[in-house]
Amino acid sequence: MNAQRPSSLPLGERLARLSPDDFKAAVRRLANALDAPSAVNLESCVRCGLCAESCHYFLDDRDLKSIPAYKLNLIIRVFNRYFGRRGRLAPAWTGAKDFNRPEAQEWVDSLFGRCTLCGRCALNCTMGINIPALIRKARGLLAWLGLVPDGLSSTVELARDTGNNMGISKEDWTETVAWLEEELQADLQDPGARLPLDLKGADILYVVNPREPKFYPLTLTAAGKIFHAAQESWTLSSSYFDVTNYAYFTGDDELAGLLASRLKSAMEELQAKTLVLAECGHGFSSNRWEAPEWLSRKIGYEVKSILTVTADYIRRGRIHLDPQRNIETVTLHDPCQLVRMGGIIEEQRTILRRAVKNFIEMTPNREKNYCCGGGGGQLSMTEFALRRKSAGRVKSAQIARTKAQVVAAPCHNCLDQLAELNRHYKLGVKVKSVIELAADALVLTTV
Amino acid sequence: MTAWQWGVILSGILSAGALVYLILKRRSLGRKPYFSIPLGSARQGVAYAFGRGMMPWEKESARLHLFAYLAGVLYHLGIFSGFAILFIKVFSLNGPALGQNIFRWGVGLGLISGAGLLLKRIFVPNVRRLSRPDDFGANVIVDIFLASALAASSDARAVTFLLGYSILLFLYIPSGKIRHCIFFFYSRFLFGSFFGRRGVLPPRHDRS
Repeated sequence: MNAQRPSSLPLGERLARLSPDDFKAAVRRLANALDAPSAVNLESCVRCGLCAESCHYFLDDRDLKSIPAYKLNLIIRVFNRYFGRRGRLAPAWTGAKDFNRPEAQEWVDSLFGRCTLCGRCALNCTMGINIPALIRKARGLLAWLGLVPDGLSSTVELARDTGNNMGISKEDWTETVAWLEEELQADLQDPGARLPLDLKGADILYVVNPREPKFYPLTLTAAGKIFHAAQESWTLSSSYFDVTNYAYFTGDDELAGLLASRLKSAMEELQAKTLVLAECGHGFSSNRWEAPEWLSRKIGYEVKSILTVTADYIRRGRIHLDPQRNIETVTLHDPCQLVRMGGIIEEQRTILRRAVKNFIEMTPNREKNYCCGGGGGQLSMTEFALRRKSAGRVKSAQIARTKAQVVAAPCHNCLDQLAELNRHYKLGVKVKSVIELAADALVLTTV
Repeated sequence: MTAWQWGVILSGILSAGALVYLILKRRSLGRKPYFSIPLGSARQGVAYAFGRGMMPWEKESARLHLFAYLAGVLYHLGIFSGFAILFIKVFSLNGPALGQNIFRWGVGLGLISGAGLLLKRIFVPNVRRLSRPDDFGANVIVDIFLASALAASSDARAVTFLLGYSILLFLYIPSGKIRHCIFFFYSRFLFGSFFGRRGVLPPRHDRS
C-alpha cells in the first residue's frame, strides 16, 4: 500500500486528493507491472458478452456493470489508451480512455464492489482470458493509489501491524489454545490430547483462520481431534498462526509477500516439514500457489490443505469415521479459491462420503460451482454488503434446490457468507465446516 | 499475375508479419518463472483448452448461448472458406468443383452468421453497450469480405473487387479488433496452462 496515502481518510477523500500526476505515475506503474500473459489477455477480449451468466453478480442484477467483460474492459480501455498506437490515434474507435479520477472511481466500484475474484468467468470465456488475474492486478494499482475500500484496507493493515487479521495478541492466542486444549482433553476424556504450541521439529505446522480462535473455536479443536486420532506430529505457532492473506484481495503483491513470508519464518523457526492450512479458500490459493511467486523462490517445504491431509488419513486407515454420527443430509459448497483456482476438488468429497450418511452434490459443482459471494474481500467491505447479500441469492437458490439440512464448506469466508445467506434467505440449514463434520464422525479407539 | 494479385500477396505477408510482431512484442514483456510446484499438467490443460474445453457440454457460456456459439463457429469457418476462395483467385487455381462448392457454402453460412452476430450486437442492449465502434466495424468489414468472396466465387466480374478489398482487409487486421485471430491461440494456451498446472483442468472426476 502506498505509504503516502494513509487509509485513515475515507475512500472518497483519498480519491479527491489524487492529482493528475498521481494517475500518470499509476500508469507508469501499470506499464512496469505488465507481463506477457497480462498483455496478451488484455488484447484478447472480443466483447461477445457470453461470460455474463457466469457471474453471480450479473445473474442477480442483470446490470451491464456486472458482466465480467465490462469489468475487464475498464482495464482494457486504459491499457489501450497508454499502450500501443491504436488508442492514441483513434481513442473513440478502440474505446480508449484516460486514467483519471472518475475512471478510478468506477474501477473501485466495479473491480472491488462487483467481483469476488472467483474465476468462474475465466472458465467460461471464449478466449480463455484469466479475468480475475487482471482484476487483481488492477486492484493492485488501486491499492498503490491508496484506493482500497476502507474495511478491506483496515483488515490488511491489521494483519501487517499485528501479525494476524483480527489483531489477536500473542497472549490471547496462547491462552485460547491452552483453554481449547483443556476442552479437547475433556471432550476426548484423554489428558494426552494436545494442541501443541511451538513444538520444534514437528512434521506439521498447522495455521488457522484467526476467526477460529475468536468465533469458531470448535473448528480448531476439530482439527486437533483429527491430528490426535491420526497420532500426527504437529504443532501450532505462537508467533504467526494466520492462514489468511487479505493482501491477495487488494492485489498488493509486496504486502502479500510480506504476510506469506511470516509463515515461512514460522516454518523455519519450528523446523517443520509441512505447512498445513486450515479450511480457508484464499489462504490456500495464497500460500500454496502465490506465495512462491510473491517471494520469487521455491519455498522448500510442502504446503497442504487440511482436507488433503485428512483425506489421506482416511485412505491410509490412520483415522476411522462413522457416517452414522452425521445422519442429516449434507451438501457441499466448493470454495472458489480452493477448488476452481486451487485444484483441491476431490479431497473434501472423500472426507464427506465417509463422514456423513447422506451426501448430495449441488448443481453445478466442483470447478463449475457458483461463488457464495463472500470471497474477494467482500465480507470486509461493508460498503458493498447489500450487493454481496443480493448476489448470494444464486448460491442460496442452489442450496435450497438440494433440500439438504446441512451445508458444509471448507472455508471460513464462505462459512460466514453462507451463515448470513441462511438468515437472509431463511434457508433453514446448518452451516458447518468439513473438518467439523469429520471430527464429529471420528471413531476413537483406545490403545 | 496482375497487380491486384500481387497486392493481395504483399499485403497478406505484411499483415502476417505485423501479427507476428505484435505477438513477439507482447512476449518480450516476459513472464516470471513459476516457483510453485504444479499439482497437475500444463500440457494436458492446454490440450483441453483447445479441444474438449471449447465444447458446449463443457462450457456453460456456450451451452446457454448455443445460437451465438454456433453462429460464432460458422462465422469463423466461413472466414476460413473466404480466405480459401481468395487463395484460389490470387493463384488462379482450378480446383475440383466440389471443393469450391464447399467453400461457397461455408462463406454463405458464415455471412449469414456474421450478419446475425452483428444484429445481436446492435439489438441486445447489454452487448451493444459493451461494444466499441471497432467491434461493429470489424464485423462489417469481415461481412463485406465474405460477401465479395461469395460473389467472386460465382461471378468473374467480382474478382477484382475481392482482390482490392482484401488488400484493405489485410492492412486493417493487425490494427483493429480482428487481431484477436492471433491472440486467441496465445490466450487459450495461457488459460490451459494455468488451470492445467493447478490440477483444475481437464476435469478428472465423475460428475455424479
